[in-house]
Amino acid sequence: MASPTGVRTAAVVTGIGAVSAFGWGIEALHAGLRAGATSIRPITRFDASAFPTAIAAQVPEPDRARTRGIEGWARMSLADRFAVSAAREAVARAGLPGDLSSRMAGVFFASSTGGMLESEIYYAWGRHDGIDRGPRHLLVSQQVNRPGEAVARDLSATGPVESVSSACASAALAIGLALEAVRDGEVEIALAGGADSLCRVTYAGFNALQAVDSRPCRPFRADRAGLSLGEGAAVLVIERPERAAARGARPLAVLLGAGASADAHHMTAPDPSGAGAARALALALDDAGCRPDEVGLVNAHGTGTPLNDVAEYRALVRVFGDGARSIPVLATKASVGHLLGCAGAIEAVATILALGDQRLQPVPGGGDSDPATPVRLAREATAVDCRIAVSLNLGFGGCNGALVLGRAGAEAGAERVLEERQR
Amino acid sequence: MQTQPFTLPDLKRIIIETLKLDGVTPEMIEDEEPLFGGRFGLDSIDALELVVALEKRLGVRIRAHELDPSAFSSAGAMLRSLEPRLITMRVE
Amino acid sequence: MIAVTGIGTVSSAGVGPAALAATLTLGEPAARAIDRSEGFHGEGSARLAALVDPRHIQPLLPAMEARRMSAPSQYAVVAARNALAEAGLGIPAEPDSSLAIVAATALGPASYTQKMFDQVLDEGPRAASPALFSECVANAPTARAAIACRAAGVNLTLAQGEAGPLRALARSVALVTSGRARAVLAGAADEMPPLVHAILDRLRALARPGPGKSEKARPFGSGRDGFLAAEGATLLLVEDERVAVERGVTVLARIRAHGTCFDPTAPAGRWGTGTMGIAHAIVDSLARYGLAPDAIDTIVSGASGSVEGDRLEARVLSAAWGGAPLPMVLVPKAVTGEYGGAFLAAAVLLLAGIARPGAMGVAEPDPDLAVGMGRIDGACDIRRMLVTTLAAGGSASWVVLERP
Repeated sequence: MASPTGVRTAAVVTGIGAVSAFGWGIEALHAGLRAGATSIRPITRFDASAFPTAIAAQVPEPDRARTRGIEGWARMSLADRFAVSAAREAVARAGLPGDLSSRMAGVFFASSTGGMLESEIYYAWGRHDGIDRGPRHLLVSQQVNRPGEAVARDLSATGPVESVSSACASAALAIGLALEAVRDGEVEIALAGGADSLCRVTYAGFNALQAVDSRPCRPFRADRAGLSLGEGAAVLVIERPERAAARGARPLAVLLGAGASADAHHMTAPDPSGAGAARALALALDDAGCRPDEVGLVNAHGTGTPLNDVAEYRALVRVFGDGARSIPVLATKASVGHLLGCAGAIEAVATILALGDQRLQPVPGGGDSDPATPVRLAREATAVDCRIAVSLNLGFGGCNGALVLGRAGAEAGAERVLEERQR
Repeated sequence: MQTQPFTLPDLKRIIIETLKLDGVTPEMIEDEEPLFGGRFGLDSIDALELVVALEKRLGVRIRAHELDPSAFSSAGAMLRSLEPRLITMRVE
Repeated sequence: MIAVTGIGTVSSAGVGPAALAATLTLGEPAARAIDRSEGFHGEGSARLAALVDPRHIQPLLPAMEARRMSAPSQYAVVAARNALAEAGLGIPAEPDSSLAIVAATALGPASYTQKMFDQVLDEGPRAASPALFSECVANAPTARAAIACRAAGVNLTLAQGEAGPLRALARSVALVTSGRARAVLAGAADEMPPLVHAILDRLRALARPGPGKSEKARPFGSGRDGFLAAEGATLLLVEDERVAVERGVTVLARIRAHGTCFDPTAPAGRWGTGTMGIAHAIVDSLARYGLAPDAIDTIVSGASGSVEGDRLEARVLSAAWGGAPLPMVLVPKAVTGEYGGAFLAAAVLLLAGIARPGAMGVAEPDPDLAVGMGRIDGACDIRRMLVTTLAAGGSASWVVLERP
């Protein structure tokens, strides 16, 4: 959006952190993505034998070093733990201290389930034996705003702390709010991201919708049969370029723009025409001052369900025309699963890593593309010369979110384009 | 194990009950009238809801790729697509 | 200036702003007995909640439309249509990408999640209902409202606990100012099923009955012991004031300022000790809009009867006013209860003079808190009000509403 001065400025990403089924930390995620591996495996988080499917991208146990010294760890939900860990990593990588109270720091977070896993445990015990007996801490972190608050508490943030829970588009929307806050000068530092953990309710629910593949998901392939759930967290540190420069922080990427829309169509099925998603993408590009033909990489929502991938392809055609078939597409969910509320954040991080490497992340699992969704799926770790990328998310209930990210140094280009358009 | 034949009125009652079609009686549902996108405004979630209900009541397992619109297009079509499986069950 | 031109509200008082205004003016909550038959409530627990009467909703939502909707979705759809009608707007004929919805939820889709989980536990995962699951996402009410109103613009479900409704209102201002929306439905939706009520009681958050005292929420009051749990949905129609004037519709309130901050000393689900941090944040944010505390003639406080929360808020307000006497303090949550957004509607109704503040002052103030306003008499001329909520868990949000 236009800031009060009327000029749309870019913000820079100076730190990233992640927890994924590849492991705790960016390095594990990066290695897995570069290798074109998948982290989707049999579930051990709960007994999945009675479910129609039994695999997901489940985060492994952390090593002790990661959990030491984090106050309140034992009482945190798993989603809180993922969030706090990813946020600490992002802040450290950004060269910021672990206490942000002297800066105006805000947290813009996303979660679909919050501490639902822990609440399930509490309820399963309590519904027959009485709910007054279980430990309180299992309940306190249930709400979807708790992971973001856990981050703010851990890092002593005193600025805006807001959570978004708009299903699969949540993190893209949260990152959009962070961008707005940074542009407006409401915050000096924004921590934007998300966290979600696997839980029985969502696993059962997606299976009830017959939306889960019994194999690791295969976005845009002809034989795709559904999504794979995942869990974890991802956090971006976002600030204005001049502030980052003043404190000697090196930008990892540029956050150029964000856009959002609603299908107003159906509670679970996307608008098959892709119009709503296309609008979010077009708004994001407009916000970034970028033209569609400048986009060199697309991180698709790519869940691998028959309906999503078709709707998404049509959205890409609406925005990119023939480019929908030629712009390389990353389908991160095949690697880390669908992180629901957190998906947009981990996919933004994956995009930032790809922009940094100037290399595609090969999608795991071969197989022919679906002729109805003929995107140029990244199959090899091909070198690219890519300045601008987009990340798109289509959510349950028809919420769509899109982000425009640039290679570090791309902000100068965006301002030039904006000036040209204003003449 | 089914011991009685499963009839069209039985199926219609399951449809009405499962999908909470208040005020609708089995007589009001024509055997071959389109259920989805028709005057009852049923959609894909309703189809899946029926799948779960039928699995529970009849012990049949229905997978997504079997949710061919034509198999589920009307009460009559649904019963015809289920019947082979119900017969198999009774033989066992 | 961005303004509120319509109020859509569903609460224990009924549907529509007039019903809520009448209840506020009378000053008594429309509380009913919560269903304790599932056995979740313990001895001596809270027994009352400000529940929506389903008979108020049924005539407004055809059975075929409502059949799969959870309670908060039903409330949100009714409130959204109500708000558009009150603002003199119809439902667009085609999806309208200039109409946005920003709604908050504190508790999420609790009853359907519980039902679905019961199916999983009792009958196995294969018995889980897809229809229930489609309503088990926090954004179901916002999505349902978008479908019902053909609102194809930004669709945002926020969560900031008890402060969510104010934050949603603040967000709507930015959407209109930036041109990303022509009109926004902003507010909240929440439900209060027996399980959630019992859990809140288990966490000692609710007002309870006791020897010699009734079960009553007493915001800022001595002897307060918790809040009144509530449910419902409120959506305010927010748009540019000039556009509203051109449409010939009454402007109910201007949104003059807003802000939010976080108190990192607050443990999860509780209130902290960061009085000065929050007070400074309020004063600084007012200053950014060219205001000082002495420009405020009324505080509509989100104090709910919570022992800790009200104490912190009283200290924050005192600190923000530099120890000087506070202006008139009103506490609508004594009547509306906590959750569902009726508090937001109450603030606008009070500013617009549609609800009378007489019964909404602090009755029997706690002498330990420097909030000393008793029952208010006579017509009060409210011109500029600060509306606050300090949420459990650390967030605090506020909005300044001004008479147009």
